[in-house]
This record gives sequence, C-alpha cells and structure tokens, in this order.
Amino acid sequence: MLALLPGRLFWQAAAVAFVVIGAAGGAVMLSIGGLGMLGQSLVPAVLATAIAALVIGVLAGQINVALAHSMEKARLEYEHKIEEKTAALSHREVELRSTLENMFQGVAMYDSNYKLLTWNQRFREYLDMPEEFLTGNRTFIDYLRYVGQRGEFGDTNIEDVIKQRVEQLKRKHSFERVRPDGTVLEVYRNPTPDGGFIAIYTDITERKRAEQELTQAMEAAEAANRVKSGFLANMSHELRTPLNAIIGYSQMLQEEAADDGQEGFLPDLAKIEGAGKHLLGLINDILDLSKIEAGRMTVFMEDANIAGVITEVRGIIEPLAAKNGNQLVVECPATIGTFQTDVTKLKQSLLNLLSNASKFTKNGKVTLAISRSGADADESITFRVSDTGIGMSDEQMSKLFQAFAQADSSTTRKFGGTGLGLAITRHFARMLGGDVTVSSEPGKGSAFTLVLPMHPDAAAQAAAATASPKRAVSGDIQSERTVLVVDDDETVHDLVGTMLGREGYRVLHARSGQEALTLARTEHPDAITLDVMMPQMDGWSVLTTLKSDATLAEIPVVMLTMLNERAIALQLGASGYLTKPVDWAQLSAILKRLGRRDGATASVLIVEDDSEVRDMTRRMLERIGMQIGEAANGEEGLAWLAQNPAPSVILLDLMMPVMDGFEFLDRIRQNDKWRDLPVVVVTAKALDAKEMELLRRMTQKVIDKGASTGVDLRAAIRDVVKKSSKPVPATTA
Amino acid sequence: MAKILLVEDNEMNRDMLSRRLERKGFSVLIAPDGRQGIDLATSETPDLILMDMDLPVVDGWEATRQVKAAEGTRSIPVIALTAHAMVGDRDRAMAAGCDDYDTKPVDFPRLLGKIETLLQRVKP
Repeated sequence: MLALLPGRLFWQAAAVAFVVIGAAGGAVMLSIGGLGMLGQSLVPAVLATAIAALVIGVLAGQINVALAHSMEKARLEYEHKIEEKTAALSHREVELRSTLENMFQGVAMYDSNYKLLTWNQRFREYLDMPEEFLTGNRTFIDYLRYVGQRGEFGDTNIEDVIKQRVEQLKRKHSFERVRPDGTVLEVYRNPTPDGGFIAIYTDITERKRAEQELTQAMEAAEAANRVKSGFLANMSHELRTPLNAIIGYSQMLQEEAADDGQEGFLPDLAKIEGAGKHLLGLINDILDLSKIEAGRMTVFMEDANIAGVITEVRGIIEPLAAKNGNQLVVECPATIGTFQTDVTKLKQSLLNLLSNASKFTKNGKVTLAISRSGADADESITFRVSDTGIGMSDEQMSKLFQAFAQADSSTTRKFGGTGLGLAITRHFARMLGGDVTVSSEPGKGSAFTLVLPMHPDAAAQAAAATASPKRAVSGDIQSERTVLVVDDDETVHDLVGTMLGREGYRVLHARSGQEALTLARTEHPDAITLDVMMPQMDGWSVLTTLKSDATLAEIPVVMLTMLNERAIALQLGASGYLTKPVDWAQLSAILKRLGRRDGATASVLIVEDDSEVRDMTRRMLERIGMQIGEAANGEEGLAWLAQNPAPSVILLDLMMPVMDGFEFLDRIRQNDKWRDLPVVVVTAKALDAKEMELLRRMTQKVIDKGASTGVDLRAAIRDVVKKSSKPVPATTA
Repeated sequence: MAKILLVEDNEMNRDMLSRRLERKGFSVLIAPDGRQGIDLATSETPDLILMDMDLPVVDGWEATRQVKAAEGTRSIPVIALTAHAMVGDRDRAMAAGCDDYDTKPVDFPRLLGKIETLLQRVKP
C-alpha cells in the first residue's frame, strides 16, 4: 500500500513548491503594495493566494514528515519480517541439511534436465561419485555413462543400459545394485512433479547377509527334516521285523505246546504274544503320528464301497466286542452307496473308535450307525459309534484327542491301548475334510461321531475360501511379473517367496491344490511352482487340471519333487496312471468312473509297442465289455484317432519307438478335438535316465527339492518365464 | 502230502512259517530269493507257492510273473505275502498273476484257510 501513495519526494517537492510560490507571492505583494494605487482588487487576491500557498506549503511539509515517519515504520517492520523469514528459512535449511547428512540413506534429487539439485554426503560416498558430477554441469546421464565406462554394467552395451534406465525414470521403481567393493545397495527412484526425480540409496549388505544365513538355516532344517523322515521310514521296517518274530514265535510255540500237551506253558506264551502285539500297535501309532506331524502323511483318495468297508470292520470288531460280553449292532442303510475317500484311513479310524467302545464297555452294547445328510457339495456321511460303557467326565473328554494323554493313567493299565489312536483318528478325519466329535456321560456311555464330506474336492474349495489367509502375496508387489507358489509346506513359501521376491517377482501363495487352481484362474500368473506331494489334491492332479483348462494350459509349470517321488512323475497331462503290469481292478474302476458320463459302451484305445502286452490288455478289457482300438506307437495312435470316433479313454505306454507317449500326449493336448480325452499313462516301475530326460522336457523343469539350492529354482523360473514372449523385469546391473 | 514252496528272504519268518506248515502236515521247500524261487518252482513243481514280495536278486512280482509265464509252472497257485496292506501293493500282486495275497505279519489260521482253498481248487 505504501507504494500507492505518492512518495516522500513528491511531498517534499510539493512543500518546497508551495513555500516558494507563497514567498514569491508575498514578495510580489510587497512590491505591488509599494506601487499602491495600481491593483486594489489584485492585492487581496494575490495576498490570499500567497497565504494559501504558504499554508499549503507548511501542511505539505507536515504531511511529508508524517508520511515519512509511517513509511519508515512500515519499512522497518517489513525489513524485520524479512529478516525473521530469512532466519527461519536458514534455520530450516540447517535442519534439512542436518537431516540429509545424518540419514542412513543416500539421497539425490535431480531436476527435469537430470542435473543434481540436492544431495547428501552419504549419496556421494555410496556412489563414490567424483566432484565433477556434483558441482559441474554434468547430468545424471553423464554419470551413468561414466559408471558404464568403469565397467559396472558388466558386458551389456552401455548406451542400451542408459536408455533403459532413463525409460525407467518415468515410473517409481527399485532394484539392487552391487558396488565393486561388494556392498549391496537398494536403489529406489521416484519421479518428481516437475519432471525430475529423486533417488534414495539404502545399504542392504547386512540385510542380504542375514537373508542368506536365514536361507541356509532353512535349507539345513529342511535337510535335517528329510533325514528324519528317511530315518523314520527305515526305523519302521527295523522295528517291525523283530516284533513280528516275537509275535510269530510265541504263537507257534503256543500251537506246539498245545499239541504236545504242555498246557502249562500256554499262559506265559500268551503274555509274550500279547506284549508283542501291544508294542506293535504302539510303534504303528507312533510312526503314524510322526508322519502326520512331519507333514508326510499322504491321502490316497478312491471310490469307497461303504458297505464293504463296514463288513470288513465288523469282522474284526465282533470277536473283540464278544470278549467283553458286548453286543455289536450295525445300522447301515442298504442305499448308503459309495464316496471318495482314503479307504485305509477310514478303516483305521472306524476300528479305533469301535475297539475303544468295545474296550470300555462290559456286557453292554456297541452300536455303529451310518447315515447321510446334507445335499450336493455339502453332502456328508456320518459314522456314529456309541456304547453303553463307563462314559467320561468333561475333564476326561477335554484331554481325549491329545496324543499320549489317555483319560487318565490308570486307564492304560486297566484297558490297554496306546492313547494315540484318537489323536490319529482326528488327524485323519481332518485330512479327509471332516472331523470327529464326542459326547459322553459318566456311567451312561459315550458316542463318537465321525463326519466326512462325500465330495471332498468341493468341500476343500469352500474351506480354502473361508480359511484365514496366511501370507497371500509377497515379494515385489508392484511387479508386473507374478509367480504362483503352490505347496502345503510353509517353509517352502518362506524360502521360495523370499527368493522370488528378490528377483523382482510378485509372489502369490497357495497352500493346496484347490487354492492353487482358484488363484491361477483369477490371477493368471506368469509361472507356477508346484509341489508334488500335497494332501487332498496332489501336484499331479493340479497339473492335470491346469493343462486341460484352455485358459491355464499355457502357464509354464515348474514341478518341485522329492528325490524318491520320481516314479510318480509320469502323470503328465494324464487323467490317471498305472504301473506295469496293468492293475486290472484299478483300471476297471477308473474306466467305470470315466465312462459313467455317456452311458454308452466304453471304448479304449491302447497305445503300446509291446504286442504281447497289447494283446493281454485287449483281452482283459474285452472281458469287461470294452470296445478296443490298438496302436503300436504314438504316430499310429494319432492316425487311429483321426479315423475313428473318440474313445472313452486312452491307455498310453510312454516308451515307444517312432513317437513316444510324451510326444503323443503333447500332440493330442494341442488338438481341440482330443484335448479333453482322458489318458491313462502306463509305465514301468523304475524311471531310467532316458525317461527322466523326456520327463524334463515335458514339464519344463523338474527340480529335486532335495538338491535344489535357491539358485537352481531361480534359474529355472527365469528360464521358463523367458520362454514365454513377454520381456523379463529389469534386474540388477 | 502237499508240497509248498516258501520263497522268503527273512530267516526268522522263514523258520516260523516253515515249521508251522510242517506241523500241519505240509512238506516245505525253501528259497531265500526270487531267483532260487523260480528255479525250485521249475525243478520241484510244488503244489503251492508262498511268495514274499520284497525279495533280493529277483523280487516277488517278477518271480511270480516268470512262474506264471513258464509252461511247467503256470498252473501252480501263488499266494503273495505283502508287508504292507497298501492298496497299490495288493493290486500289483494280483496283476502279476498271484492267485491270492495275505499281509504280514502273518495271521497263521487265516493263511492256512487260503492255502486250503487254493489247494482244493486244483484237485480234480
């Protein structure tokens, strides 16, 4: 506002002007007055003007002083404010500089011409940047060139790298860089609104070292775990062999003693047999539990004829029940049918529940009631074992399913048993998608209810959807490259996830086959690592499903398999597999399941080079009413397919001349007409080197989990992803 | 008196089983591995073969296959003795040509029953 008012100079000039006019006027007056007579009217006018001028002059002078005063005051205030602001800014600058200089990270900001605006000492140290780049007219690009010339980009063309780096500057990105002295820097760059960018450098050498140690520790733990599993498997055999001798010999001696009239020996011999059997039961249970806890217990799903299983179980339990004077009642509707489950585990669980019931009941009744409930995907089957025995208190029930804790220690002495059976039964129930519950009243009896889903796959899918997620996504979340890791073993997720994340991939985690398929469908990852051994739906089933889904078949898959699971590794894009010699019962079950769809007579195409085997297979299958087509190798197989209506299933040998099974499989999967044909792969038990080689070809890469180091897997993934057409993410220099 | 060939590599199992069978009136031949099992089957033509599946030199499946393939021994009933009750093992034994199977540890009365059944079948 001060600027709008006329300046001090103006008022000063005005004042002087008016005083002069006034004085001049006065002088004129006096001179005119001396002349007297001339201007009587003029004198008062001029006199008035002179007085007015003088007054104005004086006033102007006053205004001038006042204005000058206030302007001075304003000016002083203004200057004061400027000083304050400057001081504040300066203080701020000191603070910022202090912050920048004390930061652990190196910071550098560039303008839109890529010239350095701000940087800190750490930045300079980390990059070992010469003075000229910091103060001169050098740009970021000049610096890159300098670095390239020093050889830090390796063998790649310097200008290419520079172009690539500049391109990257348009987006937020980060990567790792190893300096010549071994330090590992994490470089983070973000564009700024004015067209420049800011770069932040973090020394992650320590972190890398820690990660590496962690990886090594995990690998060591994995290896130790495998040794333990191998040990357990061996011990199983070692433990059972002498026990079988004890049981066998004591039985034999009892027979001999009875025949030789030496009844006196019988009770003692019976005790030896009893102790041996008890010990065997304990060992079996402990080994089962160890396997379960090591995550090595697998589930073998098959069509279970419920009535058949019940009959077997009843046969074993009846004598046991009778020993205690108990009546065994089985309530099973005739229409109970069949369902998909692990028969061995179901039997073991039922036997456990029923033998418990028989043991803890005297002169009472043990009932096994079976029923179905629910509908469609939620349909379930219930096995209820109830007894009129001693029952349990709430406290006893609370410890029931814990391993090694029988209701109380006197129970073991009185009733026998290992205390592990129920823990195992519940594990099994859960592995099969169900559960075991108990209700009881002391003195009245107990009821154990085993519920299993009739359609385990559907149930698993539902469970996967509602299960609380463990880490679902990790790695470089911004990356456009995604890898889906499928494994039930959490350590693999940690290991592989960390590794792939460092490589610049976004990592998705699936802990079951069902989850994997769901994620694959919604996320369309660029690659999938797939564990072979998983409960409920193993890796091969997942692979099969992936390869037979047109939207997913293109995704490259890396199988992770244990050394000794190699033999199973042939279920490639196959709907089933068998080992030679062909298992007719299994085959006919598979065929029945596959042929169910049309209802028409099933036809089978046998692709097998050994004419005797082909002959035998044909006869076996004709006997069960199948129509047969034959081909001696893959090429003939394709020719047959081209000339005949599609068979219900193809029995495919792998090792054939002219065109082997792998190639045949490959070809039919590429043909829309034949893509969905179920193929049962038939193979010899042991895989030789040649087969392993073919196997590698077919599944992109098969990695031995046992032998793999992080590097192998990374290389495999890179390799496999490179083969698809998209470019690989920017990696370290 | 029926002649049974017992092909079993474990000494104690062999001892127990052969003695119990002999006490029941069978004459028992022993072979400690698959190779010798096939040879004895060919030279002695027993009335029945008890074949352990885990054998050295030539395993039980292969030995059974060979026995069933050869003219002179094809009609001899074979009972497989498998250590595991795994679904796969059982069916593999059947596919190799075994006429029946039993699990180890052997339940002697049950095994006897199976032996008698098979021997009955062969008799005219």
